[in-house]
This record gives sequence, C-alpha cells and structure tokens, in this order.
Amino acid sequence: MEKSGSVDSTFPDVYIIFLKLSVRSVYKDTSKGELPLLPEELVQDSAKDVTYICPFIGPVRGSLTVTNYRLFFRCTDREPVFGLDLPLGVLSRVEKIGAATSRGDVSYGLVCKDMRNLRFVHKEPEDSLKKSVFEVLMKFAFPVSNNMSLFAFEYKQVFPENGWRVYDPLAEYKRQGLAKESWRITKVNDHYELCDSYPAALVVPVTITDEELRRVSSFRAKGRIPVLSWIHPESQAAVVRASQPMVGQNGRRCKEDEKLLQAIMDANAQSHKMFIFDARPSVNAAANKMKGGGYESEDAYQNAELVFLDIHNIHVMRESLRKLKEVVYPKIEDSHWLSNLESTHWLEHIKLILAGALRIADKVESGKTSVVVHCSDGWDRTPQLTSLALIMLDSHYRTIRGFQILLEKEWLSFGHRFQQRVGHGDKNHTDADRSPIFLQFIDCVWQMTRQFPAAFEFNEYFLITILDQLYSCLFGTFLCNSEQQRLKEEVPKHTVSLWSFVNSQLEEFVNPLYVHYPSHVLFPTVGIRHLQLWVTYYIRWNPRMRPQEPVHQCYKELLAKRAELQKRVEELQREAANRTASSSSERAGSPTRSITPVQTYV
Amino acid sequence: MFSGKQTKPTFKSYLPPLQTDSKKSPQLPIKKLEAKLLPGEIVVNEANFVRKCISAESCQDDLWGKLVCTNFKVSFITHNSLPRQRFQCTHRLLGEHDIPLACVEQVVTVNDVKGKQKILGSNQKLKFNPTELILYCKDFRIIRFRFDEAGPESAKKVCLAIAHYSHPADPQLLFGFEYVGKRYHGSTGERVSGIDPGGGMQTTLFDCSSDWDREIKRIGASEWRVCTINQGYFISPSLPEFFVVPVSLADQDLKQYACFFYSQRIPLWCWNHSSGSALVRMSNISDPQQQRKVEQRISSAITKSHPLRSDVFKSDLDKNLPNIQDIQAALLKLRQICVIDPFEESEEKWLSSLESSRWMEYVRTFLRHAVEVVYMLESRNVPVILLEKEDRDLSCVISCLVQLMCDPHCRSLHGFQSLIQKEWVMAGHRFLDRCNHLKKNDKEESPVFLLFLDCVWQLWNQYPAAFEFTEVYLTVLGDSMWVPIFSTFLFNCPRQRAENSRVIVIYQITHFYVFFFFFTSLLYFLRWVPEAQIPQGGPITAFHKLSVLTDEIDMLLNQLRQYKGAGGTPNSLHAEHSKMYFKATSTPHQPPAPPEYLSSSFPFSPVGNLCRPGILGSPLSKFLNGAKIWLSTETLANETI
Repeated sequence: MEKSGSVDSTFPDVYIIFLKLSVRSVYKDTSKGELPLLPEELVQDSAKDVTYICPFIGPVRGSLTVTNYRLFFRCTDREPVFGLDLPLGVLSRVEKIGAATSRGDVSYGLVCKDMRNLRFVHKEPEDSLKKSVFEVLMKFAFPVSNNMSLFAFEYKQVFPENGWRVYDPLAEYKRQGLAKESWRITKVNDHYELCDSYPAALVVPVTITDEELRRVSSFRAKGRIPVLSWIHPESQAAVVRASQPMVGQNGRRCKEDEKLLQAIMDANAQSHKMFIFDARPSVNAAANKMKGGGYESEDAYQNAELVFLDIHNIHVMRESLRKLKEVVYPKIEDSHWLSNLESTHWLEHIKLILAGALRIADKVESGKTSVVVHCSDGWDRTPQLTSLALIMLDSHYRTIRGFQILLEKEWLSFGHRFQQRVGHGDKNHTDADRSPIFLQFIDCVWQMTRQFPAAFEFNEYFLITILDQLYSCLFGTFLCNSEQQRLKEEVPKHTVSLWSFVNSQLEEFVNPLYVHYPSHVLFPTVGIRHLQLWVTYYIRWNPRMRPQEPVHQCYKELLAKRAELQKRVEELQREAANRTASSSSERAGSPTRSITPVQTYV
Repeated sequence: MFSGKQTKPTFKSYLPPLQTDSKKSPQLPIKKLEAKLLPGEIVVNEANFVRKCISAESCQDDLWGKLVCTNFKVSFITHNSLPRQRFQCTHRLLGEHDIPLACVEQVVTVNDVKGKQKILGSNQKLKFNPTELILYCKDFRIIRFRFDEAGPESAKKVCLAIAHYSHPADPQLLFGFEYVGKRYHGSTGERVSGIDPGGGMQTTLFDCSSDWDREIKRIGASEWRVCTINQGYFISPSLPEFFVVPVSLADQDLKQYACFFYSQRIPLWCWNHSSGSALVRMSNISDPQQQRKVEQRISSAITKSHPLRSDVFKSDLDKNLPNIQDIQAALLKLRQICVIDPFEESEEKWLSSLESSRWMEYVRTFLRHAVEVVYMLESRNVPVILLEKEDRDLSCVISCLVQLMCDPHCRSLHGFQSLIQKEWVMAGHRFLDRCNHLKKNDKEESPVFLLFLDCVWQLWNQYPAAFEFTEVYLTVLGDSMWVPIFSTFLFNCPRQRAENSRVIVIYQITHFYVFFFFFTSLLYFLRWVPEAQIPQGGPITAFHKLSVLTDEIDMLLNQLRQYKGAGGTPNSLHAEHSKMYFKATSTPHQPPAPPEYLSSSFPFSPVGNLCRPGILGSPLSKFLNGAKIWLSTETLANETI
C-alpha cells in the first residue's frame, strides 16, 4: 500500500463501503407472499378486491385477510409485491367513512396507535346476511369490548427462555446493595391490601413499622406511600417514589408521613437535606388541593426542599402526540417542517421530562442527597422520571436485561396503568385515560442513546420492538393495570412474556458499539438543540424517511472482519510457533535476521 | 497526544482511571511570553497584562497574558492553562488562543467607564482608551479581552493594529504571500504538482492538461477532449488554462463563441455519468441575438458526445435556487440564533427560529436540485447543462453535489479534494470576494462554500460509511477559508492565483490539521457554546469506537502481512504508523474507557471562545439587543452608549 508522508487517509480503502445513492424511491413493505400464521392464529375472514388507498403510492388493489391476531393485506396487481401486515392490537379506531357509492363501494378508515392511518375501499357484500370483512375486523380488533379474550391468552409459542422470570424484586434490591441496617423489605402489601396498585415487595426504612405505613397510606393518593426505588451503592442516597400527599385545602398533615420522610433522609448519612421533586407544574399541584391532594409544605417537612418540574399531565401529552401525528402523517410539509414540529410541543415535553430526570440524577449523584419523586397518582410522570434517572445513574439498566428489569419494576410492578393508557382491545378510542406516557419515556431513552451511542447495550430496534409489542397484544407483558390484576388474571400463566421472545434472539437487539463502563453516570444535554424527532419511529411509514445506511451495520461488518482476521493471525502464529520449534535446533545461531520487519507502508 | 491528566475532580467521581498514553511527553511550558511565529510572520504590536475573559459571571477563571498582533494572527500568550482543558489537539499553524486576522469579522473596542464603544476599521482613530476589546469571528466565536491592568496606550495601539491588519488593503497584504515567499524562497517557479510520483494518492489540481486527460480516462469520457486555447488566460481570465470540451467542437469555433458568453466563459465539462451522460456548466450568453444559435451549437456538440445522442436538458440555477445575497442573509440569521441570542431563552423557539433563518431550507433546495439533476443523468439518461449567469457560484455547489451522489471516487478524501479543486478553485469561484478577505465589499460576501459543506454534511449524515472523511474534516475545511495561508481559498480565479504563484506555492489543505473527523450538524455552528456540549457523549464516542476497531483491524492486517512477507515474528512498530486518530491499545479485547476529554464539541473547545453571556451582562447588551443583526456595521458604528 502506498502511503505519502502526510496524514491524508483516515480509512484504509478496504473498509470503505460505498453505497450508491439512489433517487428512486424504494417502497417495499412486508412482501411476504404467504400469510405467516402464528400458533393458535386462525383466519376469520378474507376478501378479494379490496383497495388500499396508500397515501404514498396511491390505490393498491389486493386481498385482505383478518385473523384473530392480524390484518393482512397483499396486493395482487403490482410488482414488487406490496403488503401490509399489522397486529389488530394497533388499531385504535375502525370506522366506515361516508355512505356506499353507486357502485356499492364502502370506504373504511383505520386509525392506528403507531402513528399511521389506513384507508380501504371495499364492495359491500350483496348478500346482506354475510358480514363485511370489516365488521369481522371490528370484532377481533376490540376483543375486550366484545367480551372476548386478547390474543395473548391464546398464543402459545414456546421460547427457550421464560421471560416472566426476568425480574425478581428481592434479587434486584440485593443487587443494588440495600443496607440492612437502614432499609427493610416489608410484607405489608403482600396481598395488596395496603395499596392495590403497588407491588407486593416494598422497601422502606427500618425505623418505620408496618402500622405506621398503613397510616401513611391513608395520607397518600391511592395509598401509594413513599418507598425506595433505587439506592446509590456508595453514598446511600436514595430515589424514593410516591403519590401526592392528601394535604387538601386545609393543609392536613400526617405525622407518620413526616416521620417516614425523615427516616428516608436519615438513612443517608451523607446529607442532612432531601429534595422532593413534584413532577407537575406548581399551578397544577396547587389546583390539586381543591380535590384533596396537593404537595408537601416545607413547614411540615423540615430539611426538605420542594421542586416543581413543570411536566404536564396525560391530557396535554395526548394532545401533543395527536398534533405530532397530524404533522408527520401522511404528508410532511417541508417548508414549515420545523415550526410545525415546534407547534406540537412534543420535543419540549421530552425536554422537560429529561431535564427533570437529569436534576434528580444530579442531586443523587453529585449532591449525594436522597430524593422523593411524585406527581399526582405517581404512576405516569413518576415512573418516567425515576426510570430515566435510574438509567442515568446505574449502568445496569442500560443493558438489555437490566432495561427489562427496569420496566418490570418501575413501570409494571409499580402500576403504570398500561391497560388504561393504551386501551388494549378496547374500542372506546375517545377514552380520556389514554395517553402516550410510556411512548414518551421510550422516546427519552432513545434521545439518550443518540447522545451516548456507546453506553447502551440495546439498539434502536429493541426500543421499537418494545413499542410495537406494547400495542400488538401478542405478549402478556403490558396487559392489565397493576401487578395485582396480572396475578388475578393469571397473566404469567396464560400468556407469553415479551422478554421470552426478546431474550431468545438477543443478537437482533445488541448495539455493536456498546462498551460496558460499570460506574459511568450519564448526564445528557437536554437542550432542544440536542433533541431530535425520532424519525425512524414516528415517520417510519413514509417511504421517503426510511432509515438509510446505519453506522451500526458498518460496525457489525467490521467486527466480523476483525474476528476473521484474528482467527487467521492466530493460525499463523501457531504455524510459526511450530516452525520455530522444529527449526530452532538446526539454526540456533542466526535468529536476528528474521526479526527485520517488512514495512508495508513507505 | 493525550496526557489524560486527571487533576480536576469531576462530579463523575467513580469513573475508572484513564489509560494514559505515557509515551508522549506533556507539552513543555512556554518560558517567556513569546508569540510562536511562522516563517515570515512578524509582530506588529503587543500589550502586556491583558485578561482574556472565560466566563461572564466571575473573572477568576480568566487568563492573564500578552495580546499580540502579527501580520497573520491575533495571538494571546498565557502561562495559565484553561481550567477544563483536557485534550491537546494542536493545530499545526495556530495556537489555542490564536485567531487568524482573516477570521476576524469585526473589532469592537469598549470603554465601560466612559460608556463608549466603537467598531474599528482600517486606519481609524480611537478617541478613548479601550478597557475591553471584543473580536467577532467569522467562525462564530466571540472573544473578549480586558485591559484593566494594561497600559492604556499600549492597549489602544494593539486594538488599532488588530483593526488595521484585519482589513488588508489588497490581496498582496494577506499573510499567505509573506509566509510562502519566505519559506519557499529559492524554489521559485517550482510548483507542487498534483501528481504524486508514487501512485495517485494526492489531490489532483487540474492545472495541467495531463490532469484533465487522466480525469477523462478515469471517467471514460472518450467523446471529450482537453482544450488548451485558454493557455496564458488569453480567452478568459476566470477560466482555467485547461478544460474539457466535446470532441466535435474545434478550437476555432470555441474561440469564436467565447465572446458571446459572460466574461468569455466557454462551457466547461464537469463529469460524465456512467451511462455516458455529461454534466456541463455554462454561463449566460450576453448577446440575445446570438443566444439561440450558440446555445444550439453547444447543445448539439454535447449531444454528439452522448452514446445515445440524447438531447440536452438545461437546468436554470438562477431561477431555481436562492441567490448569494439570500444565502448570506440566512447565515447572518443563523449566527444570530446560534451564538448571539441567550441560550436558555431562545430554547423554546429554536426550531422555528432555525426555520426562519431559511438556512436549512436553502440546504434542502440545493440538495433537491442536485437530486433532480442526478435523476436526469441517471434515469432519463440525458446530458445536463447547469446554467448560471456567471457560472461561478451556484454551479459549483450543484455540480459537486451531483458528483458526490453518483461517483464514489468523490467521496474519498483525495477525490473530494480533487473535486473542490476542479469545481471551485479551477472553475473560478470568487473566494476572495465571497470570503470578503479585504472587507471591501459586503455585498459580494456570501458563504456559498459553507453552504456546500453543509450539504455535504447532510449527505454524510445519511450515509456516513460512504465517505472517507468525517464531519470534523468538513469543519476544519470550512475553517481553513479563514486561514489565508492556503492559496486554495484566497483568490477569485485561476489567473489571479497563477499571477501570484511566483511567490506562492499551492499549499494543500490536507496538510492542515493533524487529524480529522466528527461532529453533529451542530458541530460547526454550536461548538463554541458551552451549554450545548454533551460531556463524554456525542457522535464522537461512536467514532472513537469505530476508530479503535478499524485500527485493530489494521493492526491484524499488518501482522498478517508480516507473517506472509517475512515469515518472521511481527513486531510492534504499529502504533507509530497508525493512521487512526484514536489508536487501539495493545490489548485489543479490553474496551477502552471513554476518554474524559471527549464531548460533543470535540476537538474544539468552547472554553473562552464564546463570551456571549458576558456581553449581555455588560453595557454592550443594549447594543446587541438593539441591533437584530450584529453585523450591520453602519448603524452600530455611530451608536454610543
């Protein structure tokens, strides 16, 4: 290889993978010709001569099949084969648009939870007794509304690993290094009597009795008392989560609650202060007093400083995502793209959530101070904040299994109301309890993976898979609203865990750039300038926005190349060693000559 | 290169210890406060006991030292090192506190006691003793010096000297001439040619007919030939001496047509698509009566050179693209929102302000236009003529983008530099006027080249592995416009460059920095803003890993070669020869810790390079808030507080 004297080449040419940039749009969707049926999946109805009005390539004629799990559309009149394959779980609304035309065509609109809308045109069956394929679709898309069970309860795929065993609370608290002299695991909620939306295993300061906890539970909204989420392995500063105190307009106090918070502070010898992070805007927190809620007064809680994080409620977030969908689907207005994006406030909300988590992580890490985090009920903004702060603080949660534990713990066991927020199998699409809280959290995680490309063991596909399976209702993981409900419905017994699926094909989800730094704390930059819209998720249906060539792919190829070369070098080493061994006896005198290296660059 | 000192306790208190590269000795402290001068560089003026402001709120981090004005740069020499300095990437020509004079956009002197300020130009008088000097730089830096302890007279003198020398009266006074004149004295006339005797690894300069022959051969454009009628610049001063035309056009015809084109610019061949469709750039035909006839002749000659004899498609750039004033206005607005506006307050409106600057819109327009041209060449298989009035600005951008999109060669480092040489330098982009090095005509100033680099960045961002260079390379290339040592970006046309070539040796941009790679599209624009940094994060961390991995592969390949070549044992000479900036450790399987100095601004340091908050805290804030765009010199010059 020729090499001039100057530094003028960064990559040896063998590593440059040139891609031809193509201006032609390459629009190919799932082009599986055959309908891939899952175990226990049954075809319910199918129809030919259905037209899919694709917003990108225009009307496509084909056949539509509805099973108890999915909608499958396959075009018959064009090459390359174009298809749609979506789980019925992603449908949030199916509606007939307008009346039948003179030709007897009826139009159906499908609004999806994953940022797209689909539109089909279909002939109304002449036989009025026969149901239209779309009526069948409505039945199976909303099984809960039709008193049927979700497909997750039918699906019986067996995976090598049982994902329901991923999270063991006791093992997790042990891993965190819980100090027995300050904290204990209480059984007071073993039968979910203290709080039905909390897990059975709770960690509280040793100095607080179960009786006192019961009194605290009557003072905290929905009985969600302050309990430990995470503890710093060195400073013992703790992240504690709760719901709002029921202060009300009269400024009610609860001495057990005050004692509990004091005990949390005392458990950390490093600091004589504590921070209470109220996720809400202060105005909203104050307004909650009218409804009996409110926030901790600094008079009642000595040495505690209250900070409001200005994060808006589920309704604001739902509205923001609705606007975002309008802006990104189906058409993107190039000329006003940035101001349209700004007007959705989506990135601003992401920023506030990340900024709140950053403040929490900073207080714990740099200030060695314990923190209490709550919002109103402590099941939406609170898990967003605590889990993001935990990801920043503890590198374990940045591994694939650690992230699963984090979700199982902070979101599932602590009762984020997945059923309500997502509305699994429920046709009531206007339900005010729906909100993209979990999606926002995953978006925040994605923002962090962009800023720290080597700090996470999982890749983007992992995050997208989680979101897709959140809606699909194929796995039991995100069903129900709480641990108690899941046990009552015997979800782990009757359904498959998403983690069974994920952990059986881990290589799909591994970030090749990952380096494990055991105690590396991440402090992301949360300015809008550093936040990006997650295009590969929100705009993935737009063929113009398909992810182009990712660095990861190139990196994977390089890793394979390295492994291959390593093998060859080792072989040669062995060979050379053998040669030396056999020849050393003959030519013992002149070894120096062969050491002269052959320099390959001039 | 990195001594990776861990002196400062950081808030990340349990980071593992860094693997330090102990072989490299730490930089020796400069004993005297002497400016490091390049050959031919002379000190013009200097002041002692000057304070360089680092942060706005407190002055305890500020640096004390000597402020020096030379005929090349403004230099600040100090004993103190920067408080958070972790990396020591050194620029080959400039020290950490140096600003080339050509990079200085505006010199503002302030006397905060008297409440006076003045923007200084060349040969001006200053009626007050300045307490503060603020330098606004073309690369978005804002640097502030205080003269509280300096002698009032010497402070005044150094300010005037900086103002004077940053406004050179003619190009001969740009430092490049002094520098190269001294350095290469004796080797006059001997040019550094673009041909590497070894094997074509160097940038092609396109200043001789053999360079063009090779290019024709490389592309396989057999129906095209090198034309030499402009030798000695007898036909057109802004055209190169050698260029390429269809074989069917005779020199005699070309000479005859030349006079009809704007500044006698005969249409230039740029490149052929692999289908045989040519890309040609052409200026307007000034004589409307002849327009049709001449255009037809040219078009039919191009058609004759096409394998399928396809008709030519004309792409009118002036009609479809923003003009140079639009581009300049967009950059000024972008600068406003990137560095002038208070960081936190502008946060919420960032996206819409970015949109209203129109910079991104222009980048998109150029890219989209290039894609359309590619479509014509590739899918419609027709030759394309890029039409622009002067054929010296917009055509440069579009023709380069088209070639970058279609021709992998252009995405290699040498290919890219050759492309710039071919489509910008030789085609006569007015670098002198567009950079406004002489600060004479603001109307001609326009960041066309920077816009082009941004377009390339967008491509790079979409296809990072398709390019041999990285975003830091692009940033450094952009910066080098303001270092008037490289004749590449110093002149308006090849003739001007050639006329001065008795004293100047073409100095290649590759010899510039000791490294190149990454940033975010924001790297160029936000690198000086401390608030916008991601500590130990950003794309650089991914690059770090890629770099180490590539180096490991290189090391293994090298070992293999040694086994094969000598049959001996491989030695460990590798490290010194590694081409990667981040090198593999000797134990390849231990992942290296993320070096502490890595941040999203790497390798640039925001420390002390953006004293924006300070300005807003000082009486100057009024002046900044009053003026929407801080560059509007006329309105500000008269204003006193």
